[in-house]
Parts: sequence; structure tokens; C-alpha cells
Amino acid sequence: MVVCALVLAAALPNAERPGLEVSLTPAPGRLTVQLVVQHEIPQEWSRALVAGAPVSITYRLRLFRNRRWLWDQRLSGHELVVEAQRDPLTGVFTLIARQDGEVLASGHAATVEEAIHWVTHPPPAAVPVPLRHDPLWLVVRAEYLTRYKLLVIPSTVGTEWVTRAVPESP
Amino acid sequence: MRSWRRAWERYRRQTRFLVAVYLLLMVLAGAAFWLFARLRDLPPEELTNRLLVFLLWWFDLTLIAVLLFMLLRNLTKLLLERHHGVFGSRFRAKLLLSYLVLIFGPTLLVFLLSASLLSHAAARWFSEPVEEMAAQGAALAAGLRAEAEARARRSAAAVAREVARAGESRAARIAALERLHGLLGNHLTALWRDGVSVIELQDPRAEVLRRLSALDENSLASGGQRSERAGGTLIVRAWEVMADGSVVVVGEVLPAELIAAQARLAAAGAAYEQLKLQRTAMTATMVLGFGGFALLVVFAAVWLGLHLSRRFTAPLLSLVASTERAARGETLEEVPLPADDEVGLLVESFNAMVRRLKEKEAALEDTVHRLDTVLRGIRTGVLTMDRERTSVIGNPAAAALLGMPQLALRPLALDEVAAAGNARLVDTLRSAAGPVRGSVTVEAAGVARALELAVLPLGDPAQPQGWVVALEDLTQLLRAQRQAAWSEVARRIAHQIKNPLTPIRLAAERIARHAEKGGGSLGSVVSQGCAAIVEHVQAMQEMVDAFALYAKLPPVSLRPTQLGQLVAQLVALYDGLRPNLRFRVEDHLGDEEVLADPVQLRQALANLLDNAAEASPQGGEVVVTLARRESEITITVADRGTGLDGGDPELFFQPFYSTKGRGSGIGLAVVQRIVADHGGTIRLLPREGGGVEAVVTLPGG
Repeated sequence: MVVCALVLAAALPNAERPGLEVSLTPAPGRLTVQLVVQHEIPQEWSRALVAGAPVSITYRLRLFRNRRWLWDQRLSGHELVVEAQRDPLTGVFTLIARQDGEVLASGHAATVEEAIHWVTHPPPAAVPVPLRHDPLWLVVRAEYLTRYKLLVIPSTVGTEWVTRAVPESP
Repeated sequence: MRSWRRAWERYRRQTRFLVAVYLLLMVLAGAAFWLFARLRDLPPEELTNRLLVFLLWWFDLTLIAVLLFMLLRNLTKLLLERHHGVFGSRFRAKLLLSYLVLIFGPTLLVFLLSASLLSHAAARWFSEPVEEMAAQGAALAAGLRAEAEARARRSAAAVAREVARAGESRAARIAALERLHGLLGNHLTALWRDGVSVIELQDPRAEVLRRLSALDENSLASGGQRSERAGGTLIVRAWEVMADGSVVVVGEVLPAELIAAQARLAAAGAAYEQLKLQRTAMTATMVLGFGGFALLVVFAAVWLGLHLSRRFTAPLLSLVASTERAARGETLEEVPLPADDEVGLLVESFNAMVRRLKEKEAALEDTVHRLDTVLRGIRTGVLTMDRERTSVIGNPAAAALLGMPQLALRPLALDEVAAAGNARLVDTLRSAAGPVRGSVTVEAAGVARALELAVLPLGDPAQPQGWVVALEDLTQLLRAQRQAAWSEVARRIAHQIKNPLTPIRLAAERIARHAEKGGGSLGSVVSQGCAAIVEHVQAMQEMVDAFALYAKLPPVSLRPTQLGQLVAQLVALYDGLRPNLRFRVEDHLGDEEVLADPVQLRQALANLLDNAAEASPQGGEVVVTLARRESEITITVADRGTGLDGGDPELFFQPFYSTKGRGSGIGLAVVQRIVADHGGTIRLLPREGGGVEAVVTLPGG
């Protein structure tokens, strides 16, 4: 009972605030994923951006096939990396979104708020979806940076993993 | 598989293999150190690579797993060996624990200190002054750009006002624009209308302005400014919209050197921020590297400790195994020499001891073999008994004497020996509390034998480890002695009887001859002959009485006796026996008492005094001396008589031997027998200055 209480206590904040809004738009053979980060960006991330350091948010998208009697089968994994860097001389923020290494979109922003809005509202990512009979799950997460506990234990700072059922294409 | 394992076991114990493994570990440690040193030169993005952290984690975890496995395996093995009491396990456990404490403690301390110093150093490097400097650099760059933009906006506004004031004429506006361009010193002054450039004046020195792209129409809808990089410098353009929709654009090219410096400052600030963002990753990488190096050192040290503990104890274990085998009765074997060190010296000493023991063992076996041969060959029976005197084994002679052939083959119980007609012998053996000499008669196998025996304890007489019994068959010897004694007695009796018989026969013949002749002298002749016959018959009677006395001496009855008093009383009787003969006593015993039969001892001393008195000349002196010599009492009777005359002193102790021509010759024989019955001895010694000393020695312990 105590363990259940602890598990519930640990699960409650995640249930209330997953930190990532996911909108799925199905199409034949592909899935358009619109992501919006609802978390507050860590201060060191924002400070580094203002100071001119290149920073990025990595969105990890994993597509699973939901199998009834076996564990879920991972079909594909994708990375949407949105980079931002401010030119200290011109004050202009350069923004680039790459999906699996290919440039998806780019842009400029004059203020830090615009830049943060751009990286927390990245351009929609397209995920190939295979033809299937089983239901599919899309698991998504946004990662800001890596911290280390007790000096050596890595801990990723980001949103929780968000799972969404992939809707059937019309 | 087994042969491979044997080969591995044989190979892994070789010194060069161990040295090679140790050197390999040292090389790995050096490589880790080199890798750690190289980390400083790597760019941050490489340094913070997750793959590197992963590899370090894998390396550290592998080392920890191997170390824990090795430690747990060896500790478990040591605990089991210690539980089973294996020799050397305590020493190895102590050695290993000492190694662990000596290695783990300092290494852990150094690791924690290094990690702490590293963490603090990184934190100190990202300190507030540095951060302030980076922030001020960024602010300076931003301020410079903002100032240039403001200046350009003001200039654009001023130009727009003057151009508007010049009127609607195109020529007037161009003239005003050219005048203001020269007057304000702008690098770019342009007039746009309906998205088309009317005139654009550029500073010929600022060629970089030609590379600029045109401003888009949407931006020109209202006033504004823009900063752009081009040609290694920063160009600031500002524009102002006039009332008629015309746009005045003013541009300024900032100095390239200043912008380059600003760029470097800004890049340093950005790099600083990026490093700051990756500070924890850098620290983790370095700490993991430190940890791996420390673990490598600990691994090498623990492995070395285990190896050394095995190497130290292996020769000792071999020594113990060898001695344990020897304790179980197996042959003591030499141990292989481990090394030329102190342990090797110990092993060499042990091997030398083994060699000496083997030589002694061989010599002992040879001695035993010879002794066995001697024991089998001699006619003296030898028995050996255990400490509790429950079983006995003997040589063939003893087996034959006791009529038990199996006694020479295996140990027999004493009861079994007693039941075979040797009860008196067994009783004597059981009652012996120390060295015993005596004689005993046994009736083994229906044959009576007179045995002389000597019982000796083995080792300490107080706590003997066993007993040895020597048996001598005296049956034949006693029989021969008895026959010789009877022959001697018969010869002496015949000799003693023959002497008086001749005068008796002559006296009888003379009486007979005178009786045939007749005459008046017959009576006197008969009278003289009868007197002679009676005299010699009396002598014969005395001889027979002396013989009876010698034969009928009673056994001695020992009791505490004051020898001094006894001798003084006896000498007092002799003093004045003859004129001019003195008797003197030198008593060094005083009131000391000894065990003796006073009656028989008085008789023996009287015989000695008789002989001394008879042998002493006129004016002589007989001295009787009593003294103690260690555990013996000596009684010396000395005279100044004729002495021994060069004769054998032992002859004087034979019965019926006399040099005096009178007497029975039995006196000294009686003395010797009485002294022997007391356990003592008597000797006749020639005295300096003439005379004889009769020295009687009695046990006085």
C-alpha cells in the first residue's frame, strides 16, 4: 500500500502537467506532428541563448506498434533538433530546425522571446507511418540539456514522455 | 579442457607471466592517464560527448565488477580456508586486508579530494568576475550597435527633414541630399520613392556597401534600422519615411578593427556560456576518468596483494604439507626452492634439515639393522616392554629361553608369558621400580632354567618410556661352578685329611712294630703314638668344625648399627692381648649408623684382627680406620707384618688356604662371605713401609 501511494504521488505531477502538447494530423503514409513545449525553459538554457551560445531543444519521436500479447514493437525513431543562436553583434537570433539531420526550417528572430517561442513551437515534423492493422503509439519527449547528479550520474532535463495514439488516416 | 586448465595453472604461476600482466596493467593505467591528459585539449563538444561519458561509465563499471568479483572470490576462499583451519589462511587474510586498507583508504581519499578539487576548480573558473566580464563584453557589443543604430536613425531623420524642406523638386532634393551626405559624413545616403532608388550616395572607401542586399519594401513602410554583418564589419542602416512616401536611408560602416575585436569578445562570451552549460558534463567526464584511473590502481594493487600473499604463503604451505606428511608417517621430502630471498633461505634450511634427518634416518636404520643382527645372533635373551608393561617382545634367544617362539615374531601380553611357566620372571618385571639385577628360575616348556636378569628403564628412570630386560642362562654355568666347587672341596678335604693321616699311620705302624718286638719301651711307644694320633684327630676335628662353620653361616640380618661403637668394643678386647702390640682406632664416622648385621660383622672384624695380631711383630701397631667415601663406608685394618709376600691376594680368600702353617685357612673366606652378604667387598693391599691393609667397603647410602 505504501508503495502504491508512493507510485501515485510520483505519478500525479506528470499526470497534471506532461509539459508537451502534441497534435497529430494523420495522412496516408505519414503523420504530421505538431509539438508545443509547455514547460518553462531552464534558466541556464535561456541565459546561454542570450549570451550567444548555441543551444537547442531535441524532440525525440518514437513510433511503436501496440501488440496485444507481446511488448510494444518499436517501428521507428526520429529526432527533431531545433537550434538557436544569437549573433551578439547584430542581436539577431538564427533559428534552424533539423529532422534526422535534414534542415526542416530556418528563420530569424529579433528578440529572445521570439526565439524561445520559435524553438518551443517547432515546425511540424513528418513521421512516416507504415500500413498496419495494429494500433500505433507515438511517444514524444523534449530534451533541453543534461545535468549530472553526484557529479557523475547523467540526468536529462526535459519534459516527460508523452504517449499518443496514432489516429487512423482519413 | 582439463589439459588447457592445467597448462593455464602452470603458466599463470610463472613469474614472467605475472610481471607481464602487471606491466600490462601499468600500460593501461598510463594510457588512461594519457587519455585524461588529452581531454583538456579536446573541444567542449567533444569533451561532453555522451559517448565518452558512456565509455568511461562502462570502463569504470567493468573495473568495479571485476574488482568486486576478484575480491569476493578471494575473500570467500580465504574465509572458507580460515574456517577449515588451512595453514597460512590467517596470514593471507591479514596481508590482504592490510593491502586493501592501505590501497583503498589512500586511493579513495585521493579520488574524493581530486573530485572535490576538480568540482571546486570548475566552479571557481565559472566565477562571478569572469561571468561579469563576459556579460560586459556582450553588453558593450550591444551598446555599440545600439549607439550606431540610434545615430543612424537621428541622421536619417535630419536628412529627411532637410530634404522635405528643399521642396518637391527632384534636383533640389538631390542637391540637399548631396550636401547633407558630405556634411554629416555618412557612409551611405539614399533616397527611395515607390520602392525605387532615386539616388544613392556611397562613401568610396566603404566598398562593402555594394555587397548589401536591398531593403525589402515591407520594411520601408515605416522608419526603422537594421544591423548587418558584411565584409568582416558591421553595417548599420536606418531609414525615415517622408510625408510624401519617399524614404531616406542612411548607412554607417563601423570600423572593421573594432568590429573584429567585438566579434572576438562576443565569441569568447558565447564559448564561455556554452562551457558553463556543459560544466557538469566536463566535471563528470573528468571525475569518471579519475575514477577509472583510481580503480585501475586499486585493481592492480589488489591483484598484486593477492599474488604476493599467495607467493609468500606458498613455500610455507609446502613446508607445512611436508611436515604434516612426515607427521602421518610418510617420508619427509624436500620442498622446491621458491626464490633467493629470506623465505628461500627458510626453505633451504628446511631442506638441509630434511637431508640431515634422512642421513640420520639411514644411519639409524643401519644401526637398527646391525643391532637386530646382533640381537638375533647373541645367546643373551633381550626383551623390550612398553611403558605400561603390558606387552613384551624379544629376540630369538629370549624366545628360546622362555620357551615361546612366537615371542620373537610379535609382541605378546605379559599374562601370556606368565602362563607359559614364566610367572616368577613376569612378577619380577612388573615389580621393578627401577634398574634391577638378580636371578630367577623359570620352568619354560617343562625345563627349569636359572636366569640372571637385568631390568633397565628406557629414558628417564623416573618416567621410563619403556623397559629393556637382558636374560642370561646360568643353568650350565651354575652346574659347572657347582661341579668345580665340589672338586675343589674334595681336593682340599683330601689334602687336609691326608696331612694328619700320615703321622697317624706312622704312629700306628711304630706301635705295631714295637708290639711285635716286645720290650720295655712298648708302653712309652704306645703312649707317644696314641698322643700323636689323638693330636692329629683333634686337628681333623677342628678342620671339620671350621668347614661346618663356613657351610652353616646364617643369612645376614641388617639393622642400624653404630660401627664406631662396635669397632671400639672389639678393639678394646684385643688391646693388651700381646705385650708390645698396640691397637688404635681412627673413627671418622662418629655416631653415624649403617645397615649391618653386628654379630656377623663383629666375627669378620675379629678374624681380620686375629690375622693382624698374628702377623704383627713385637712393638707393632694395628690401626683400624673407619671412614666414609661418598656413599660407601670403609673399614681398614692395617698392620706392619710380613705382608703378602708377593702372593695373589685372591688366594687368601679361598677356603683352607693358609701361609701360616697352622689353622684351618677358613678365616678370610668367612670374612669375604660375610662382607659379600652385606653387599660389600674386601681387598688386601700391600702397605707402604711393610704390612698389609685389609680394606672392607660396605654400602652406606
